[in-house]
Amino acid sequence: MKKGNGAGLRWGVLLVLAGILLVYPLVERNAFYIHLLVMIFFYIFLGLGWNVVGGFAGQLSLGHTVFYGIGAYTSTLLFINLGVSPWLGMFVGGILATLTSVVIGVPCFRLHGPFFAMSTLALGEVFRILATYWRDLTQGAMGISIPVKFGWRNFIFEEKAVYYYVILAFTVVALGVSYWIHRSRFGSNLVALREDEEAAESLGINVPRNKLWAIMISAFLTALGGTFSAQYVLFIDPDAEFSVGLSLLMAILPILGGVGTVWGPVIGAAVLVPLQEGLRAWLGSSLHGLHLFIYGGLLILVVTFLPRGILEWIQAWGRKAIPSLFPTPLLEKPAVPRSNHFMAWSWLTPKGTGDGTLMEVKDLHKNFGGLAAIRQVSFQIQRGEILGLIGPNGAGKTTLFNVISGFYRPDGGKVIYHGEMISSLHSAYLICRRGMGRTFQLVKPFPSISVLENVMTGAFLRAKAHAAAQEDGLEILELVGLYGIRNTLGKSLTISDRKRLELARALATRPDLLLLDEIMAGLNPKETAEAINLIRKIRDHGITILIIEHVMQAVMSLSDRIVILHHGEKIGEGTPREVAADEKVIKAYLGEEYVLT
Amino acid sequence: MLETILQLAINGLTLGGIYALIAIGLTLIFGVVRIINFAQGEFLMIGMFATFWIFSLLKIDPYIALFIFTPLLFLLGMGTERLIIKPILNAPPIAQIFSTFGLSIVLQNGALMFWKSDYRSLETAYSNAVINWAGLMINVPRLVAFLVAVGIVILLYLFLQKTYLGKAMNAVAQDRDAAQLMGVDINKIYMVAFGVGIGLEGLAGALIMPIYATYPTVGFTFGLIAFVVVVLGGLGNMIGAFLGGLIIGLVESFSGFYISPELNTAIYFLIFVLVLIIRPSGLMGIVGAEEMGLK
Amino acid sequence: MSLLEVEKMDVFYGDVQALRQVSLKVEEGEIASIVGGNGAGKTTVLRTLSGLLTASSGHIQFLGGDMTQSPPHRRVEMGLIQIPEARRLFPYMTVSGNLDMGSYTPRARKDKEKVLKEIYHLFPILQERRNQITQTLSGGEQQMLAIGRGLMALPKLLMLDEPSLGLAPIVVKMIFETVRRINSRGITILLVEQNVKQCLELSHRSYVLENGQIVLHGTGEEVLKNEHLRKAYLGL
Repeated sequence: MKKGNGAGLRWGVLLVLAGILLVYPLVERNAFYIHLLVMIFFYIFLGLGWNVVGGFAGQLSLGHTVFYGIGAYTSTLLFINLGVSPWLGMFVGGILATLTSVVIGVPCFRLHGPFFAMSTLALGEVFRILATYWRDLTQGAMGISIPVKFGWRNFIFEEKAVYYYVILAFTVVALGVSYWIHRSRFGSNLVALREDEEAAESLGINVPRNKLWAIMISAFLTALGGTFSAQYVLFIDPDAEFSVGLSLLMAILPILGGVGTVWGPVIGAAVLVPLQEGLRAWLGSSLHGLHLFIYGGLLILVVTFLPRGILEWIQAWGRKAIPSLFPTPLLEKPAVPRSNHFMAWSWLTPKGTGDGTLMEVKDLHKNFGGLAAIRQVSFQIQRGEILGLIGPNGAGKTTLFNVISGFYRPDGGKVIYHGEMISSLHSAYLICRRGMGRTFQLVKPFPSISVLENVMTGAFLRAKAHAAAQEDGLEILELVGLYGIRNTLGKSLTISDRKRLELARALATRPDLLLLDEIMAGLNPKETAEAINLIRKIRDHGITILIIEHVMQAVMSLSDRIVILHHGEKIGEGTPREVAADEKVIKAYLGEEYVLT
Repeated sequence: MLETILQLAINGLTLGGIYALIAIGLTLIFGVVRIINFAQGEFLMIGMFATFWIFSLLKIDPYIALFIFTPLLFLLGMGTERLIIKPILNAPPIAQIFSTFGLSIVLQNGALMFWKSDYRSLETAYSNAVINWAGLMINVPRLVAFLVAVGIVILLYLFLQKTYLGKAMNAVAQDRDAAQLMGVDINKIYMVAFGVGIGLEGLAGALIMPIYATYPTVGFTFGLIAFVVVVLGGLGNMIGAFLGGLIIGLVESFSGFYISPELNTAIYFLIFVLVLIIRPSGLMGIVGAEEMGLK
Repeated sequence: MSLLEVEKMDVFYGDVQALRQVSLKVEEGEIASIVGGNGAGKTTVLRTLSGLLTASSGHIQFLGGDMTQSPPHRRVEMGLIQIPEARRLFPYMTVSGNLDMGSYTPRARKDKEKVLKEIYHLFPILQERRNQITQTLSGGEQQMLAIGRGLMALPKLLMLDEPSLGLAPIVVKMIFETVRRINSRGITILLVEQNVKQCLELSHRSYVLENGQIVLHGTGEEVLKNEHLRKAYLGL
């Protein structure tokens, strides 16, 4: 299947759909159907807005109505009181919503999961109550009617079809934004932090800032939706504009469609809004709430059994039925030979220059609850060497890694890297950006994205564009031997592949010092031998390696030098031979009195 | 002046007792099963409606109805745990949040479809009864609810400390694996704990029916209050839920008088958000906060 | 027929194979041990035996009956008791509360008072501190409590996961001495340890685990003298 045909077919289908959407209102006489289309695209638009922070970034907000309401009230109040065109008012509302999102986001992003959700839910209610209470400004529960004066400047139209074209345009913009996010470094960062915040930090991603940007964009778009709604209905009140039900719908529709994807919110709304409006029209006020009842039931089923939404179903079916319309990315090697940007390993100073100490740890000390986890640990690592870190259970090895890589702050001593004292930096992502990459003892593959996308989250640190990041990713996958399974999802990998992926992802950030935490654990002898070779290969290209290991044969054969920790202190240092013969080491591992002659 | 303050305090405390009663089930479920049940309020709503209907149709007094509905809701809770909660026990947060959320939507709208959005209330002989104590007025049903809340806290405390089943629940809340190594059947414990948590909403529903009107979305309002109370008191902590309830009741009573009754909810939601941000472990600390992402 | 017999057990954590074809047995009345470095899989073996993990293939036989699919609480009822790594005491319970939980199973509840007396006799310090919360106990006292709690369950096979972890040498000696005493009263022991010498000296039978596989077994003395052991731990 050649790539060309598939792309052509996809564009063809899109153009036909676009054509239908543009022409339809001109031929349809029944206002109800036009209204239905307006509703569908309205919810698509809102869903796309929510999806930026709720889907891509994984921050499950149940309070988006705050931004919606701010948009609706700002533009309306400016229009009614100052005669400002709602188009302008809409942007003002968007900006206000964006500012509010920062005020909300900074404290609330410290919460996760259900607690974040609850706090946003509570805030939505706070705004609703304030809007009701602050009658002088908002007319409270009585609401505000917008006088019906048609005209483009007033953003009030007699023909529903015009509203339809407006919301269609909004939706195209939102789709564009979503698609851009999906392909950009920003989007990759969001996905990474959604899947695992710690791992994202280790790849140089400034997690708090990225979350804020996500909610700012989301808030802006949502506010636009609020203004549109105000201009469509021509009446606003706190219960409608700050409605919990709306917050829920903004989340539910994308989730049902396929959370965190570009097309998920589209599918969700396109499938369910007609159902909702249809039920409303058909049943009127009897069985009020049936559509929500159905949504609720679907929600339970979807999150329990089909977490990736209806879209996943459609894609699975589509891949079998019409493969050229639903391609699996990069099934074949591209015909054009790849550039060797990554494999030039050009970011590493060539051996021979810059010899000497790459990193120094001096008198490092870290306490946990009164107990010293590491105490007075000092050593250096030379450029281009492999330094092994060993020690019995609880010796403090991983703690040491966490302090060096910036995940813990030391209580004493310092870490000097590239001549800079990095132990005073307060965030791990800054240290990664300076060239230190790491893996984690309990591997953290990003489960819901592919192997290639996983590696790209790291590659995006240095590569600016999607194409470059992808190139790097493919090269690295070939190096570590994962090219063949580049489209497999992170959660479906075997342990050996997960470890390789973790290594590949860290490598993608173009480090000159790589910290490997028990990367051999759980591997069988053959896999262990492969891992040893790979690590040697990486070092031979010029990367310095600090490795924690328990698999003794591995660390002994790999390391140029070894440092031993026991009860948080360094009890020995030297070549592998020296260390294995060291009495103190033998005692530490095998217990007192064991020493064999 | 003093009299006003004392009256407000009495009102606040009795109100707080009600809030505590509603929140205890939520905190118990969190402590043992480690799930935030977003549908907790809806079970209260079911309890209220059930009490209302049995009174309207069969003239059975709420204080008697509670003996029927507490066990019924206990069974309903166990069934819910099996069907809905068990499949998502180890699922990612999005599933755990939206599954119980979905349930709350289903229950709310189911109620809406069957019973419409009208407010229903009942009046018993004692609905408006008031005790006069040293010049202060205490509303009887509220007092009863308060006393029952105290009683429940004591009973639960004894249950958790003195019975083997209760001790097993306590053990599961403190260390799930270790509890299993003691021979505790963890699936059974989850089911019973959830059942108790929901059964308590049945009890609460019957007790507050003489005081409040019921309508399909009443669970949302009370549910949010329950969250506020539980977070304030410390998740999983029974005494914390009781104290948290009293505090919120007092806050509502005083702010309603001195500031404005309309802003009540806004005020304690703000307290809620503040607590989550500043001291997420609440007053009494949580059993296992870090797991739930409160750091 | 052995008290415990494990045959060709494979255990996975998700897609990660933690144990490969592990076979071992423990005879009634003896002290058996599993030694190995970090990450070798020792704790995984015990967790699988207790039912906290499920073996994907292989069999576990206990007291002559197949137990491979039994849920954890059934195994405890039958007398397969584990004292977990890092003790896992209930943090907000008192010493007596923890001991009480130890006799949770119906079988153990019957003789609770009698057994409690014996435990207090074995560990007088626990009686002294019986109303203290576990967090206030020293490491050695906590380990004693953990052992006491395990004994309250009337074990037929008592499995200990690294009881020496984090304890001072003199306390470790005492713990091993206690294990010997318990065994001399007829309780079969399966001991998992990193601290090799004392453990192997105590064991009638020992297995060396490396990367999820048994690489060596024999009597405690045989294994202690074996060169391979040193290689398994030190890599050279």
